Amino acid sequence: MDIKITEELDNTLKDNGFKKEEIQELIDNAESSGVKLKARDGDVSIAKGVSDNLTMYAVYSPSELLDVYAHKMSILGLTGGELNDVDYDDASDWTCAKCGEIALERNVDMTYMGVTRPGPGLVCPKCDEFYVSDGVAKTLKTAESILEEKRA
Amino acid sequence: MPAKDYAPIDQNWLEDAGSLWTTPWVDKPSERVIVDPIILSHAASLFRKNAGYFYQNPDEAIRMVCHACELYDVTPVGHYLYADYWGQDYGAEIKIQTNSPPGITKRPIKTAEDVDNFEVLETEDLAKGPTLTTHYKALDTCKEEFPHMFAPITQLGGTMEVATNWAAIEDVFMWMITEPELVDKLCVKAGDHMVNACKATAERYGANVMITGSVIASGDLMDTEQIKRFSFQPVSRAVRKVLNAGAGPGIYYHLCGNHTDDFQMWKNAPMSPFTIVQIGYDGQNIFPTSKLVEHFGDRCTCFGTVDTKLVDRGTPAQVYEQAKEQVLAGKDSPRGFILGTACECPTNAPPVNVHALVKAAKDHGKYEKF
Repeated sequence: MDIKITEELDNTLKDNGFKKEEIQELIDNAESSGVKLKARDGDVSIAKGVSDNLTMYAVYSPSELLDVYAHKMSILGLTGGELNDVDYDDASDWTCAKCGEIALERNVDMTYMGVTRPGPGLVCPKCDEFYVSDGVAKTLKTAESILEEKRA
Repeated sequence: MPAKDYAPIDQNWLEDAGSLWTTPWVDKPSERVIVDPIILSHAASLFRKNAGYFYQNPDEAIRMVCHACELYDVTPVGHYLYADYWGQDYGAEIKIQTNSPPGITKRPIKTAEDVDNFEVLETEDLAKGPTLTTHYKALDTCKEEFPHMFAPITQLGGTMEVATNWAAIEDVFMWMITEPELVDKLCVKAGDHMVNACKATAERYGANVMITGSVIASGDLMDTEQIKRFSFQPVSRAVRKVLNAGAGPGIYYHLCGNHTDDFQMWKNAPMSPFTIVQIGYDGQNIFPTSKLVEHFGDRCTCFGTVDTKLVDRGTPAQVYEQAKEQVLAGKDSPRGFILGTACECPTNAPPVNVHALVKAAKDHGKYEKF
């Protein structure tokens, strides 16, 4: 799947040290495995790539890369360990492409620099896959900076 | 008093206090648990000023708070929370009072039709409004004069607090029975307002710490289903929206009042890596820290409390005993612990009682897990 990258987004990739090839690979993997989120309303997907020290996300339509973001905090699993029923509308705008379940907005444990704390994740209730939204990635960036400063 | 009339803050103290303060979130070892008695207008009383003076002079208020933090050896953060919870921004009239926070005398929503027509202000309008301009005056002073004590806090209250500053509390409670859908609408609007207010602070300072939760929506005034519907659910939606908008990362759930029947639902409230949960009372008694740690210790930082009535009217020995019990039960909570008061430190609380609270943390709050 060849994805068009606008000049503006290309500059963002360069500014953040992302390589086009790794983004393309991330999308290819998501397309072949089906492990991705798909918008409930529209034709937009989120692919995820996890490495030792970075989780990267690509948001894309069938023809175009729309956004790329990342976080350093590593997701361990659900806060509290279990997917209990929650009595409010925690259904997100995304479905899991693999199983078709609506992704839920739930607290997930995240670890960074030896500190484990909760953060707001997008959780597939069936596949045990965890994602974060682009907005939350910005929030996490602030949290990571604080941890880097205080743990140094 | 202008800044020049205050003695300089002891930098060694500030460094030590900063280290104590950050331990709960970053697991970096320090000597003992930190104490946060939620000092606001109490600081004014230390300077022989009153609550009215405190709220009318935000720049001076923050100086008094920062120096009170040093005096008591407590959390080195320049708290300043403007007291009317956003009523004035939407047309409410307030009355400055000598010995208590400003009170709302006229509210913008009087009828059910007013609720339908009520429009939430955009982020840029709120940033220019009376609440945030007052609040920012204090925060800017803190950032400039006490940069190491600066935290970009936004006092949101919960949806019921905002709703009952827009409409009279007796009307909101009557509508809860006669027209609950109307209160749903009001709480959704209150939640949207909270999101915009958080964004305003995050845009100005690059981050924000939101104080939310539930004060009016407690077990003494509402039943569990009402708390869930009009407080927990709309507050949770608002916090999720704030985090998804890139604001945060601090969240402080201040669950004042009695939460015996509803505290469990807050375990599933949206959390960030810097989340604190504080619960005031369990029935008529102070909420036991052992119970707080049991339910929230594996999720977030626990804020154990001492009864504000005791801090206001008790003896130093009584404050010390309750603080000791709470700190022993909480100091090694897995995700951090703070010792504080159930709500704001009473304006005229005897300073010896605040001292007793801190002394208990010094005597019994040594960490054992580090």
